[in-house]
Amino acid sequence: MNKAQTPAESAEIRGRSPWRAAWDSLRLVMQDSFAVVGVVILVLFILIALAAPSLAPFDPFKAMMTDTGRLARLRPPSGDYLLGTTAFGNDVLSQFLHGFRVALLVGLVAAIAVGFISTVFGVLSGYFGGWVDDVLMRITDVALSIPTLPFSIVAVALLGPSIENIILVITVLFWRNGARIIRSAVLTERERVYVKWARAAGASHLHIILRHILPNIVRVIFLWVTMSVAFAILTEASLSFLGLGDPTVISWGQMLNTAFSSGNLRTAWWWVVPPSLALVMLISALYLIGRAYEEQTNPRLRRR
Amino acid sequence: MATTTPPRPGNRPASAATLAELARLNQRLAAKPAARLQVEGLSIGYSTLRGRFHAVEDVSFEVPAETNLGLVGESGCGKSTVVKALMGLQPPNTTVSGRALLDGQDILGLDDHALRDIRWNRISLITQSAMNSLDPVYTIGDQICEAILAHERVGKAVAWARAEEMFALVGLPAGRLYEFPHMFSGGMRQRAVIAMALALNAGLLLADEPTTALDPIMQSQIMTRIRGIHAHMRRSMILVTHDIAVVAETCENTVVMYAGKVAESGPTADVLERPLHPYTMGLQNAFPRLPVPGAARQPLISIPGVVPNLLLPPPGCRFASRCPFATDLCRSAAPPVVRQGAQATACHYTDRAGEFRKAAARPETWRNMRGAA
Amino acid sequence: MTDRPTIAPDATAVIEARDLKTHFQGRTGIFNALAGGKAPVARALDGVDLRIREREIVGLVGESGCGKSTLGMSLVRMYQPTGGQIQYRGDDITKAEGKRLKDYRRQAQIIFQDPYSSLNPRLTIGQVIEEPLIIHGIGTATERRQKVIRAMDLVRIPAADNIDRYPSDLSGGQRQRIAIARALVLEPRFIVADEPVSMLDVSIQASVLELLDELSRDLGLAVLYISHDIATVGYICNHVAVMYLGRIVEEGPAEDVLARPLHPYTQRLMAAIPRMNAAGAPERVELRGDVPTPMAVPPGCRFSSRCPYTTALCEAVEPGLSVQRGGQRVRCHIHDDTAARARPDLTPPRAGHVTEAADAGILAETLDHA
Repeated sequence: MNKAQTPAESAEIRGRSPWRAAWDSLRLVMQDSFAVVGVVILVLFILIALAAPSLAPFDPFKAMMTDTGRLARLRPPSGDYLLGTTAFGNDVLSQFLHGFRVALLVGLVAAIAVGFISTVFGVLSGYFGGWVDDVLMRITDVALSIPTLPFSIVAVALLGPSIENIILVITVLFWRNGARIIRSAVLTERERVYVKWARAAGASHLHIILRHILPNIVRVIFLWVTMSVAFAILTEASLSFLGLGDPTVISWGQMLNTAFSSGNLRTAWWWVVPPSLALVMLISALYLIGRAYEEQTNPRLRRR
Repeated sequence: MATTTPPRPGNRPASAATLAELARLNQRLAAKPAARLQVEGLSIGYSTLRGRFHAVEDVSFEVPAETNLGLVGESGCGKSTVVKALMGLQPPNTTVSGRALLDGQDILGLDDHALRDIRWNRISLITQSAMNSLDPVYTIGDQICEAILAHERVGKAVAWARAEEMFALVGLPAGRLYEFPHMFSGGMRQRAVIAMALALNAGLLLADEPTTALDPIMQSQIMTRIRGIHAHMRRSMILVTHDIAVVAETCENTVVMYAGKVAESGPTADVLERPLHPYTMGLQNAFPRLPVPGAARQPLISIPGVVPNLLLPPPGCRFASRCPFATDLCRSAAPPVVRQGAQATACHYTDRAGEFRKAAARPETWRNMRGAA
Repeated sequence: MTDRPTIAPDATAVIEARDLKTHFQGRTGIFNALAGGKAPVARALDGVDLRIREREIVGLVGESGCGKSTLGMSLVRMYQPTGGQIQYRGDDITKAEGKRLKDYRRQAQIIFQDPYSSLNPRLTIGQVIEEPLIIHGIGTATERRQKVIRAMDLVRIPAADNIDRYPSDLSGGQRQRIAIARALVLEPRFIVADEPVSMLDVSIQASVLELLDELSRDLGLAVLYISHDIATVGYICNHVAVMYLGRIVEEGPAEDVLARPLHPYTQRLMAAIPRMNAAGAPERVELRGDVPTPMAVPPGCRFSSRCPYTTALCEAVEPGLSVQRGGQRVRCHIHDDTAARARPDLTPPRAGHVTEAADAGILAETLDHA
């Protein structure tokens, strides 16, 4: 960070770019060994998700036939089918690999949507206060009083089970807590002396929000987004498991649902264990990263 | 802030029996002897993520009975750390070595049970943020009674009566014992905490910047009260402050600390009029004084530089980096403690103190050092 | 009540407050409002006249709640005054909005007490000082950098080494200098320094004060120096005003007010300062009671509830600021008999004549019982 240059050399004043800040945070997080495990898992999962269509040996929807022309149902893992087959003859491995895509897609979109909405609500509420705060927080309170699972069930049942609807439902539900959390952080930042000074110097609200408030609450937003991703994935899996998932899309929850409804939950371990394990690993990875980030960036410990 | 409230209904005057027991309690408490404290070679260190932090090193001083000792220094010098260690309030990962003899008994390293015995009973503490150390869910009266009842076998009514007396001592109306801390203003809370500290007539009072956060008039009122009470009850006190004028008014003896070590100690008049350590000289110059009409304004001189990092204390004198008279000897070898009469100082060049004093009074001496603060 | 002589607009005055008032509206609960109760109003600033010229450092002293910070913040329009006028170089900017207000904000800057939280820890020193230029859209990136370097030179922090460092790398005294640099980069004419050295160690206070003094002289700044530490006020201020409960109770040349205070409150304030040699110290008389709140300002003289010389006249009529010999102005019936002549039925106070039993006596009494 020490660019000892004479004034003539560089024309502009540069601060720390957001990329640099992100990289510094990552390095900080990697100091925690659990977080390293989490990051490795996450990166691995992302890679698998991206490469799934090429990795999957078969079409996940296609029923596998034996040489004798019969459905290859409920085959345990073998040379032909590395993770065996389902009750309907589908290759478990292919389905499993495609499930990565769904999980991460849901997580990513939900994270962005939730992160964005929570941040907007939280910042507007916390920064402006007054009637803006009252109105937005009352909306949030109403939203908070909606029970998650019953609402999801009803909404998806009414709107129709598609992956878009599920993402929509998750978005509608998950911004609530984030808004409150971010609002608290904004309230703290707003009272900082340097914000007061900026007002005294004539800064516009936008300037203050972008330059003073947001950079100092990124930590909270990131933490909340990490948690949201985990919740979103879990909710999608739950909804799919309950039979409300998108039938045209193979997700891990969907796999478990099919296994359950065909009565093979206890017996076809090759069908049940991979998606369950993957869910657990992904959510744990997200949690470990979030936890390490929070510990490392907590103002109690010295930064930089 | 609010005007005084009348005592609430139910505050019946104390019964005769209570008063009699209160008189007995007061006699017992008044009979407590003044405390004498001898600190020898006190060293306190913390282990942090970045290594070992030597907050206090080899500090020794004495508080004779019935006297006040001023512990003066700036941020980071370790004075608050010393005081907290004397009460056993240091944070968990701290190592404390040395001895602190309160009336001959070493109070460092006592176990919890023994600590509870001496705390408030023989040694009590007022901290800087005392206003925030009151429990918000109990009335002030209850909190003072709690302190009294922890050490004396008396009824609650007697303890309450004693609390009322303490309030009168600090100038607060007795009826306000029924109130909660948030109903008090800052100055009143500070006085309430002082009342609590005096409740058991402890032999030694540790006052850590008791009035720094208050307004000047409130400061002077409270310090006057503390001085008066102490003189009357013949107690001892350690007053920790960065304000040398308060020390000049209150304390018979002074210890000046810098970067965890004792720079100078001795009778206050000597230390302030004929300082032996360059840091004391610099501190005096930096202390703003009221203009005397007709006389030229005394220059206000800063000490350039910053306090050394105590994670890696420098090998020689800790003040060397900011001292205008430092030599290579100063930077390489820790100075010995030299005594001149009742004064003691840690400096290699004590014999040239007179010359230093004259030079220190000139602003150029300090300005010609590099590195502004 | 106000006795201001008509003041001709002074050509060299940079900033002038005329009968400036800033009242804060408290909130009343819904039941209270239904019952017809009015919301309490905190009269933090209740009619202040003050003038600061170029190159002048005016000190403002008083205790918490006296309104000195409110005055500072009102003068830079951080609080909206609710009455009176602020004149900046002859222009009335009390109710200025939009562009006029933003223009004024370029000319008037404020420095706060806490060096540890007045700088955004995520910005580099260069960015911190550059920010006012960005807010007002001044200069290109290169020009801004030049201005930043110049500002850092003014406060004697080497630019090359420090422009890319972060506030957490610097000491309190250095950070306060950066705050000053930030205030100077727009080349203002008026600076409010709200307790700028209170949180710094004594051994570095002097250098920051000295810096303020030099800058005021070299750059022609008008400075309002707010402090509760009277000794530092005596050091750099030409002119001192003492505030109590929203009004100025005494003002005049610094030496006069500090060495020969006329108002009983100022006297008590000066007596309260601990001295190194007690010999020269004035006698201390205990003040009764606590400071009244700005929400319940007593009628008559605001200091009457605590003054040892209070009489009936003091409790009934608020004195105006009267001019004394040497230019000192005091708000006290002892030095001004205008009100006494108008109300011969009320006893006027006399200097040195203590009317209330000072509660210094309580201490002696209770000690005998304890």
